[in-house]
Amino acid sequence: MRTAASILLSTFALTATLVAKDAPLRTPEQRFADLAKAEEPSFRRHIVPLISRAGCNGRECHGSFQGRGGFQLSLFGYDFDKDLKQMTVNADGDEKQVRINKEHPEKSLLLTKGTNEEPHKGKERYKKGSWEYNTLLKWIQGGAKADVEATGEFDRLEISPKEIVFKKLGDKVQLKVLAHWKDGTVEDVTQLTRFRSNDDSVSTISLAGVVEAKDKGDTHIVAFYDNGVHPIPVMLPVSDKVGAKFPKLATTSKVDEHVIGKLQKLGIIPSETCTDTEFLRRVSLDLTGTLPTPDQITSFLSDKSPAKRTTKVDELLKTPAYAAWWTTKLSDFLGNNARVLRGNGQNNYGDKFSRQWYDWMQVRIAKNEPYDQLMAGIILATGRTKPGQTYEEYSREMSGYFRAENPLNFTERPNMPYFWQRQNLQKAEEKALAFSHSFLGVRIECAQCHKHPFDQWTQSDFKSFQAFFEGVSYASKGGGKGSPGVPGETITYASLTKEIKEAVPPDPKGGNNQKALGAEFEKRVKAGEPAPWQEVFAVVRDSKSKLSEREIEQMKKKNPNFDGRVLTPKILGGEEVMLKEFPDPRAPLMEWLRSAKNPYFAKAWVNRVWASYFHRGLVEPADDMNLANPPVNGELMDYLAEGFVKNGYNMAWLHKEILTCATYQRSWKPNDTNKNDEKNFSRFVIRRLPAEVVVDGITQATLGTERLAAFRDDIETRAIGPNANAGRGGKGASNYSLNIFGKPVRETNCDCERTTDPTLLQTLFTRNDPELLTALEQAKGGAFIEEIRKATSGKGAAPKRKGDDAELAPRIAKLEAKLKKTPTNTELETELKQAKEQLAKSQPKPAAAKAPLANADDYIAQVFLRTVSRPPTATEFEKARADLAAASSPADGVRELLWAMLNTREFMVNH
Amino acid sequence: MSIHTTCDGVARRDFLRVGALAGVGLSLSDYFALSSQGAVSEAKGKAAIFVRLGGGPSHMDTFDLKPDAPETHRGEFKPVKTNADGVMISEHLPKLAKCADKFAILRGVSHTLAAHELGSRYMNTGNRPLPSLNYPHYGAVVSKELRGTEYLPSFVAVPNLGENATGYLGVEYGPFETGGSPQPGKALEVRGLALRNGVTLEDVDRRQNLVARYDNAFGEFGKEDKLLAGMDQFGQKAYSMMRSSKARDAFDTGKESEAIVNLFGKDQFSQSCLLAMRLVESGVRFTSVSLGGWDTHSDNFNALKNKNLPTLDAGLSGLFNALAAKGLLETTAVFVTGEFGRTPKVNARGGRDHYPRAMFCLLGGGGIQGGQVVGESDAKGEGPKDKAITPDDVAATFYRALGIDSRKEYNTRTGRPIMIVRNGTPLRELVA
Repeated sequence: MRTAASILLSTFALTATLVAKDAPLRTPEQRFADLAKAEEPSFRRHIVPLISRAGCNGRECHGSFQGRGGFQLSLFGYDFDKDLKQMTVNADGDEKQVRINKEHPEKSLLLTKGTNEEPHKGKERYKKGSWEYNTLLKWIQGGAKADVEATGEFDRLEISPKEIVFKKLGDKVQLKVLAHWKDGTVEDVTQLTRFRSNDDSVSTISLAGVVEAKDKGDTHIVAFYDNGVHPIPVMLPVSDKVGAKFPKLATTSKVDEHVIGKLQKLGIIPSETCTDTEFLRRVSLDLTGTLPTPDQITSFLSDKSPAKRTTKVDELLKTPAYAAWWTTKLSDFLGNNARVLRGNGQNNYGDKFSRQWYDWMQVRIAKNEPYDQLMAGIILATGRTKPGQTYEEYSREMSGYFRAENPLNFTERPNMPYFWQRQNLQKAEEKALAFSHSFLGVRIECAQCHKHPFDQWTQSDFKSFQAFFEGVSYASKGGGKGSPGVPGETITYASLTKEIKEAVPPDPKGGNNQKALGAEFEKRVKAGEPAPWQEVFAVVRDSKSKLSEREIEQMKKKNPNFDGRVLTPKILGGEEVMLKEFPDPRAPLMEWLRSAKNPYFAKAWVNRVWASYFHRGLVEPADDMNLANPPVNGELMDYLAEGFVKNGYNMAWLHKEILTCATYQRSWKPNDTNKNDEKNFSRFVIRRLPAEVVVDGITQATLGTERLAAFRDDIETRAIGPNANAGRGGKGASNYSLNIFGKPVRETNCDCERTTDPTLLQTLFTRNDPELLTALEQAKGGAFIEEIRKATSGKGAAPKRKGDDAELAPRIAKLEAKLKKTPTNTELETELKQAKEQLAKSQPKPAAAKAPLANADDYIAQVFLRTVSRPPTATEFEKARADLAAASSPADGVRELLWAMLNTREFMVNH
Repeated sequence: MSIHTTCDGVARRDFLRVGALAGVGLSLSDYFALSSQGAVSEAKGKAAIFVRLGGGPSHMDTFDLKPDAPETHRGEFKPVKTNADGVMISEHLPKLAKCADKFAILRGVSHTLAAHELGSRYMNTGNRPLPSLNYPHYGAVVSKELRGTEYLPSFVAVPNLGENATGYLGVEYGPFETGGSPQPGKALEVRGLALRNGVTLEDVDRRQNLVARYDNAFGEFGKEDKLLAGMDQFGQKAYSMMRSSKARDAFDTGKESEAIVNLFGKDQFSQSCLLAMRLVESGVRFTSVSLGGWDTHSDNFNALKNKNLPTLDAGLSGLFNALAAKGLLETTAVFVTGEFGRTPKVNARGGRDHYPRAMFCLLGGGGIQGGQVVGESDAKGEGPKDKAITPDDVAATFYRALGIDSRKEYNTRTGRPIMIVRNGTPLRELVA
């Protein structure tokens, strides 16, 4: 930053482009412009970057999988062999009609198309005689040779300046990019680099690498060259409150120091601290997925201790709702989905497996088991729970979890294998994608088919990473090469399947007898006897050994392009691993996750937790950590990730570290400097409540007083608890509300499955859905309104619902019409008379309605505490008293107020 | 909000900005105007009705009979002539035979996914399912692409869809599920819209005022903040929908003329078709109805003859005839499909099993050339005779009829560009 700033200052008068001073290296233009004196260009270092920068291998052009005009380059480059072949050899394998004409280099299509001499759909990419043109020509003249071997591996990019802080709109800074190669070569590649602005409403960057300040705020400029992706922060302060003019703010926590450190540069002054009620509501919702109860609010308000906010966080961390809500969140990240867990060939145990998965994690979260340990229990899990366990023992144990009498406790299992058991995770590549999403917060699916456009990952990186998962299976075979069979065991999946078949009489109709077989399976399970359960196991594949011909044949059937090579697994961005040294191919992965150098494992969790407490992650999207998408506050990310690891992957530490800092406790009320800031956590950005929290919140607000106190901890009945997992996607009533409010189905590798966007259907739900209207009046264990109705309608009076009255009028009309047709029908007559009497009774007596309700203020306060978690203001009291007085009955009045409060935005959002 | 460049260099932020505005920031009329962009075309179709035949109907006993196939295959039913030249269908579909000029039969539609769920996902999206990506249902795409009305949702599912309908598009394009099926002559009480639990129109008005009285904790900021402003607009829209007699009438099949009602049966499927027609008439863009019970692993012929075929015949013929009578057929594309066909060879239990290699679909209305058969299965109905019609082609054709470019690209939430239908080509015989 200092460099940039000083350059800016020293050249203040200049409006022309600024150039960094220390430029001893020659630019590509200087090196290649003069054809006669030009150096020999390198295919990898100069030609490929040049055509990338010209856009030739983009998706819309020759990078398209169909190619364009019979010419297809690898998307975003990096398949050097293929690209060179495309240029030098035509489809028939000879060298006629190819892109490169070695005999007459200047007639090469690569040149004539690029200059649009030959008609080119992509128009002119470079001018004839330009340095770009001459670079390509020189390379062709030299024989259009590949040199990937010779150049060796790319090391890194170095960009100067490292950060840009602009002074005013329109300021410009020229970037300089140096490429470092592992062989020690350093080149100025500014002219061969592709640039991108992450937000060009803030800063733009020209093809030549000139950054321009377009608006106040901050973003990153990213440079792409070969395998290098390098972002630099760029900003223009929002106000003049920078440096010495920035107000002194007490920072008691490291988190705040880092946040304010950045706000200071930007001249953004953070909002005030939020009120006690705002804090209590916010932290209860975020940490426990639960609204505070009226009692909790009252006692928190009356607590005079200065440390009460911190104490509250400690207290909430011990509640069952905390463990329930964070297990639900972890279930999202890991893809705990009943539908894909059903188990092949077995009875459908999807809901049960999903519940076990949930419970297993919940117990550990409640105990605050270290995060790495929790994850290791999932990552390294196998079906068998101890070494040397036979299939019979395993199978008996599995049945034991479901047996009728005294079932085994699944949560006591040392590990939890269901992550690997999912039907949508059968192929190694699917496992690799799920693994990197769940545990690394990295999306590598791009690299499945082409070089990742925003990261270093190439297709070969993906394939090498995928190799870790080749040996991980969920299957029925026991006894294959390396499978978990214990020598000499006779009871196997196959033998148990046979037993079951033999125990069931054949279907007289000749059918497949599924039902009877299923019943027999179930019978054995209920009795705790061995049944044919499939199992998760891992086999080490020797990457050095050759595959048998039969194996190669099988591989080719699956993938016609299989070249017979078994890849040595390679950790993402790391080294190759000799799997033979490990009993389980996942073991070295787990070691890597836990190693101090791992760039993802701890950060992925820190970022997801942060994203749960604010409207965005430090990296956003929270599960998309890539080089081109750096954290908005790198120091903060490092601080939290290091602290998390140093504290032994202590999840409670992380929650507390974030929730007790001033940054989390900012008010939503903006000031002049921060009203447009949605990136640097200078104010609390309002967000809609998550689906489960909305559903629970509505229940809680409408429950009777007694039930209300218990509801918080009764996670079995909660939408944030384990049961909301079961049967997702079904037709249950509460699934409707969970679906429309965006509960994730957990089927794809994306945190974005959970949405908190508002929609019309959500509004219709809170306004008028029968589920909500019924909740207002009736609830299991009694509704709040029912209580009031009882208390205010006098002894013995049956609780009467407004619905009854409303139905009376049309009923009377109908009866009258019928009576007209058949005037002699006495039954109708009596019925009509009764209905009329009933209607008359139900009309509010003017005197009674006017009489002031003794505890109206209590009810009003209750409604506010139950919904928006604060006492009403004086004005609100006044309005509500008037509304209550005008209502047909006190209970109706309170119900209408409760309905209205549930329909305020204040209820629906966390603020 | 994060920013990414998609593969072709379009800043992802632009997409997100549009996405966010569509969800919350714009006024609703702007929002609909925005979502209608791309729908500017000369296509005749303005709305769609999707009829899902759950379980996988037998092609051999409905619209692709093989009277000359061996006894093991051909089944019990005879083909009969229809009012379309040279088009023959099952004898148990007499009413459809009289209006076969209004729809086209696609034969030899073929895929390889023989499980109910996977097959359904393929047929309901036009994209072969992938584990890493959820494609949106036709209804979600249509409700994104075509302009809806002020007082009705764009996408209605009768009674529900029971699946993740919106895929990568996000919940805002999800179906409005009625939750129940209509009964003859009665208004369908639709969740959220119907005034139930004793709520009257006066209550709706009073409550609208009530919310306004209490929903002001955020003051002026409530208008500036995108999320809060968006929620407020949805509140207005919900109010106008609940207030609208047009919206309620659309769900009230009792308001239909006798002449039209008489075109349909009294069962749930017929009544759902009648409702779908009314919804289209009122401005709903996509309505899905469904008829299950096609998974006839045993006793196929009795099940079809006694129940499924008469039910389908009454409802579907009613739908085509009523749309035509109201002048809506030209603007309404109707798509009828199951998840697969059934085994040409009859099994030991007199049933037919799952068979995706050969199936049928029906497409009609919306300018689709009816009264013809497109595609052909082989002599025993075991696969396409020559070139297979893929589910992707059917999807592309359906979208074409609605003026939606099936090759248009959306960005998923991860910034990945995906075509609406990746591999389909519209069938020229059906759409110009």
